[in-house]
Amino acid sequence: MKREALTQKLLVLGVDGMDPRVTRKFLAEGIMPNLQKFIEKGSAREDLSHLGALPTITPACWTTLATGAYPGTHGITCFWRQSPKSLDAVVYNMDSRNCEAEQLWNVTSEAGMKTLVWHWPGSAWPPTSDNPNLNVVDGTQPGSVNMGVAQLDWEKIIAANEEITELIYAPKVERPAGTGCMISDLSAITEEEEEPATDMMELWYGEAAMSGSEIREYIMGPENMEMVIESIPHYDVVNSPLKNAQGWAAAPADAKEFTILTSDGIVRRPTLILKNSDGIYDRIAIYKNKKAEKPIVVLELGKMVSGIVDDINKEGVLKPACRSMKLLELSTDGTSVKLWISNALDIAQDKLWHPKELLKDIVENVGPVQPVSLVGGEDAYLVENVYEPAWDSYSQWQAKALNHLIKNRDYQVVFSHLHNIDCAGHMFWHLAKNLERWSYTDPEVNQNFIRKFYIQTDKYLGEFLHLLDEGWTIMILADHGLLVGEEFPPQIGEYGGMNVQVMEELGYTVMKKDANGKTLKEVDWEKTTAVQTRSNYIYINLKGRDAHGIVDRADKYELERKIMSDLYSYRYKGERVIGLAMRNKDAVVLGTNGPQCGDIFFTVDEGYSRLHGDGLSTVEGAFDTSVSPIFLAAGTGIKENFTTVRTIRQVDIAPTIATLVGVRMPAHCEGGPIYQILTEEM
Amino acid sequence: MSLEQLNANSFEKIIYDNEDSCLVIFSRKSCHVCKEVVPVLEELQPQYRDRVGFYYVDVEEDKNLSQRFSLKGVPQILFFKAGEYQAKLAGAVDEDEVIDKIAEVLES
Repeated sequence: MKREALTQKLLVLGVDGMDPRVTRKFLAEGIMPNLQKFIEKGSAREDLSHLGALPTITPACWTTLATGAYPGTHGITCFWRQSPKSLDAVVYNMDSRNCEAEQLWNVTSEAGMKTLVWHWPGSAWPPTSDNPNLNVVDGTQPGSVNMGVAQLDWEKIIAANEEITELIYAPKVERPAGTGCMISDLSAITEEEEEPATDMMELWYGEAAMSGSEIREYIMGPENMEMVIESIPHYDVVNSPLKNAQGWAAAPADAKEFTILTSDGIVRRPTLILKNSDGIYDRIAIYKNKKAEKPIVVLELGKMVSGIVDDINKEGVLKPACRSMKLLELSTDGTSVKLWISNALDIAQDKLWHPKELLKDIVENVGPVQPVSLVGGEDAYLVENVYEPAWDSYSQWQAKALNHLIKNRDYQVVFSHLHNIDCAGHMFWHLAKNLERWSYTDPEVNQNFIRKFYIQTDKYLGEFLHLLDEGWTIMILADHGLLVGEEFPPQIGEYGGMNVQVMEELGYTVMKKDANGKTLKEVDWEKTTAVQTRSNYIYINLKGRDAHGIVDRADKYELERKIMSDLYSYRYKGERVIGLAMRNKDAVVLGTNGPQCGDIFFTVDEGYSRLHGDGLSTVEGAFDTSVSPIFLAAGTGIKENFTTVRTIRQVDIAPTIATLVGVRMPAHCEGGPIYQILTEEM
Repeated sequence: MSLEQLNANSFEKIIYDNEDSCLVIFSRKSCHVCKEVVPVLEELQPQYRDRVGFYYVDVEEDKNLSQRFSLKGVPQILFFKAGEYQAKLAGAVDEDEVIDKIAEVLES
């Protein structure tokens, strides 16, 4: 049977972490006017939600959106999958070749529709169809386009004043809130550690991870939890002397100078501090060297400048890279200055662009791929002045890039993803309620930052409104929402590794101890009967299946019963914290069965969830947040100003798109079209 | 002839402001390997007079500089040309390796 298409052009605007509940709060405040227009022109549930898949984890849910299959069916059940060699280790999973269900973009491409998949963090890269209609950009990590492969230099704060006597560079310094940018004792912050510090991005999404190497992270205590790690910003610090300009080819009288270091400290950029016509120092000009006639860029106080291209020196090889910069502070007499420079992205890195010429098109017509910021967290000054504006700039660049491609390349189907809300959520959403651990931060300040990120998102969405008048159908959707947590969570259900604490207390996971009884970071496999890894999974240490298995198959069923019983009885701060626990075979009712879902699937109960990923997809949190994902559709083929009471499941989105554009259902689709919102009776 | 020592400020001037082609050995007084490599450079220095500058930095006296170049050990010879870092040689190196590196990165 062949169906007629209800639309010729369809754009999916995916916004990672966009929560319908808090969105409605902001709609009521009138701060999301563009989204309001989409709603009025389209269809949604009254609460704007859809029922997210489980686990509420990014690649799992984006893969469900792309395939119409539950995670238990498509097999992408976390950022990582279980290492085939060891129960306590995981391996990289943001690889489309691990997906066991057909992606809808392969169907549309093969049906002759030109299709673009833009930074979709779930089973998009590498392209799994060689059909020339399929174009794919990145999708190997959730952050931003090219973030995992093009980064040449890290973010820096440069502080200069007349008291500093020599140039000092301190790489990747952790700066908890309230710490200034002056280096008073270099050795105190750069002393070699017992274990070399590893960047989380590199560990999770770097070259080694992508080539299949094992990642072995143990969550031993609160300090290993992502919300604790991510809330402390780290960046390179440069302290420079500041003096009257000397030896320049092009320095005006009264100019002052200081030095910026880039390229991990090995490249120097002399910088002039300049006066305006009123005699007030109000801007800086960064030069390649003092002989240069023209600056690389001029920065005015308080204005973020993006798309700055400068060479980065990597082992003696110069590579042009794109940066954003902002002059944060400058005293009017020019004696003190502070600025931020973003990470640097190689402007020519095209290995995640298919076809590669797409990058050239974007760079020439829109500008090089912009970096985002990853510094902020509990430092409200940085969130306000750097982190939020950098993401706003990136969002606008992405909107321009997508509009350029849509206008010039005859795409009929576009799947796109933006990560601004989710990235911010991981950094500071938990600070929007006054939890004891962060009592020194201000919840109201952080609530306003949440507001700002939704305003930023509304501005991004507004850049696509014009397409509704050009015959396009637009879906706005998310993978999951984000909670402002009610409590600091227990150490179970943390997605970044093996969760030790609760399972150790219950006696199932046993860690080795040294002669003094101190717990070591090593599992005692001879005594361990089960481990809890990734977001929601418990694996029995089974003989014949697992490398160090000690549990007989005959005992597995009873052991599972005992673990589930103990989980329900477990108390944290006097309360039950486990919501559901079920055997793998029973978890099919949640779509979380199969070999990548553990022997037991469990959820953390409402009230004790982290940001997302550990509980049911209906959990709600403080500040009117929820982990539900948003869904609405508007444009050709969609009823106007219409609400439905239908429960819209995440598996229903792909078949709805297939119906709208008139192609067959993806092969493993388990959902059904949302008939109620379509203009044609089915 | 012994090598001229640089500190943080003279390093800035010579490497970046003057943009001299040069090599800088980062060394430490108590390092045995440094004691073997420094004389190699001292002997080579006259051959490159007016073409390549030969300098040293004492990493204990100028910790900031070694930190800036993320140097994990000594000796390390860093090569600069036109104000840009070009390459480095680490550990026990002989005369031929230094000559080859100068030809490759400073005189090519």
